[in-house]
Amino acid sequence: MENSEMGKYTTSFGLSLAITSLVSALLVILKESSEDGVLALMKSITGHHWVTHGLFNLILYIALGWAFSRVHKGQGVKISANGLVSCIAGAVIISTVLIAGFYLLH
Amino acid sequence: MNNNVILLIHPALGGIATLAALWVFVDTLNASEASLSRIKNISVLCAVLMWLTYIIGGYWYVVHYGPEKAIIKEGPWPFAHGFFMETKEHVFLMLLLLATYLPIAASGSLAKSRAARKVVLWVAGLIVPISLAMEGSGAILSIAVKIGLFFKQAQGG
Repeated sequence: MENSEMGKYTTSFGLSLAITSLVSALLVILKESSEDGVLALMKSITGHHWVTHGLFNLILYIALGWAFSRVHKGQGVKISANGLVSCIAGAVIISTVLIAGFYLLH
Repeated sequence: MNNNVILLIHPALGGIATLAALWVFVDTLNASEASLSRIKNISVLCAVLMWLTYIIGGYWYVVHYGPEKAIIKEGPWPFAHGFFMETKEHVFLMLLLLATYLPIAASGSLAKSRAARKVVLWVAGLIVPISLAMEGSGAILSIAVKIGLFFKQAQGG
């Protein structure tokens, strides 16, 4: 089984990376579309929206990675190598297109 | 620290981090028991360098970028901020996650497991082109500031 060959932290933090990338891209669109709401709130937390965004990503990435590594009685999420790289590459490419596309049209 | 020195250190560290990711990619193609510790060490180096790039570049962006942003937006290349800087600052956050994940992926049994190698190859393979795009965006921003200053001077500002 490919999953056991990869290790639980590779699969768990890999999935976490994919989800965090997509959430981060959606947060970009959300904060830029809500300057008085979300953007102002993010600025108020650390003094700069980008710093808050980075912290949010880091906390989400660690929290999801840790949570995924605890499932299946601590063995981590079960996923094939092809599934994992598809999630990671797909999420990174979609997120990049979302961010670049948003600023291109904004 | 001098602003110009920060602006040199930021892309220099990013460039070395990119080379480290490329090293991990190439070394993983022919991973063996003999190369495992080297791949792990270089992947950690890549992550550390990317974090330093983020912290130094982030400090400059948050503290010193304001006046340059104004020059760019008032100059002939406002898209350098509107598209390239905005995209760069947010895509970089993903790049940072990828670089942070690289040592985790490289901690697997790369010599024995094709699956573990596949993940490392994809992650390192994503880091390299995204990093190069970041470097290119930074170059466009530098040129936009230069053009903006020439423009301001020509306008008598």
